[in-house]
Amino acid sequence: MTVGNRLLFPALVLLSTSSLASAEQGMTHLTERSSERIPLNTVAPVYPAIARRDRVEGDVQVCFNVDRDGRPYRIAVRSSTNRVFEKPSIRAIRASRYVALPRQQEVPGIKTCRTFQFRLEAVASN
Amino acid sequence: MIIRCLVALLLLLGSVVTLPTAAQEEDAQSRTVIGPTNADLADGAVALRMGDAVDGVRLTQRGLNTATSDRERVAGYSNLCAGLVMLHRLDEALDACNRALEINDEHWRSYSNRALVYLKQKRYADAKRDITNGEAINPNARTLKIVKSMLLDATDPVAPVITIDDRRQVPADDRG
Repeated sequence: MTVGNRLLFPALVLLSTSSLASAEQGMTHLTERSSERIPLNTVAPVYPAIARRDRVEGDVQVCFNVDRDGRPYRIAVRSSTNRVFEKPSIRAIRASRYVALPRQQEVPGIKTCRTFQFRLEAVASN
Repeated sequence: MIIRCLVALLLLLGSVVTLPTAAQEEDAQSRTVIGPTNADLADGAVALRMGDAVDGVRLTQRGLNTATSDRERVAGYSNLCAGLVMLHRLDEALDACNRALEINDEHWRSYSNRALVYLKQKRYADAKRDITNGEAINPNARTLKIVKSMLLDATDPVAPVITIDDRRQVPADDRG
């Protein structure tokens, strides 16, 4: 896979993502390869209603293993700025999938980490 | 729009004051009196909580005619304010909230209800001032937080944006 293809791939993935997020929620996916595994279906967390109501923003880093079939397991929050964002982040990881490995390939033991940034961006008022 | 209406309705129902029963109020004096001190106000509050604004307003107005204490009057006017907002009679609602606050300027539910009236009238500065006053009395009031959120959505709307960052390096202690 060329560098160009590598950068293009996630964008295509996002187009076919069956996101848990609401329709009005925006999403950006930054990739550079931190894991051995290639994302297949990246699910965005839902912005918690209470956090949105109270205008709270935050970051959550979640680390996990990915099995041969591409399913995340041993999902754990590594750091977070506010607990309100942790459950949606874990749910999003649990619903996400990676490309499965062929039988002959060994499953890497290295953990994958993903950081979710929950932000509220100003929009033009009516 | 429908969600906004539902939120407003829930908000109002959360702001309805239920008067204590006579049994609770007069517990130290007598145990023979059962039931609310003002049945119409209590029934009006129940009707408003059930979403029946027409009956709620009618019963609350009747209860106000027989109110015997400032406490009953404040609760009654505050509930009347909430019911009139539900009926979109904003000027009358504002008058009812004002009367509640004239009697008791520490009644946070009335500030919350009046803030909602101001919000619907697009008087955002007034709504903000009432929210601030209410928060000073009850900083944890959920209804005030909801009104504040509605005000912010009207004046400074935001949209949630999630960035998923897979670029971070895996920490050494997370290997294996």
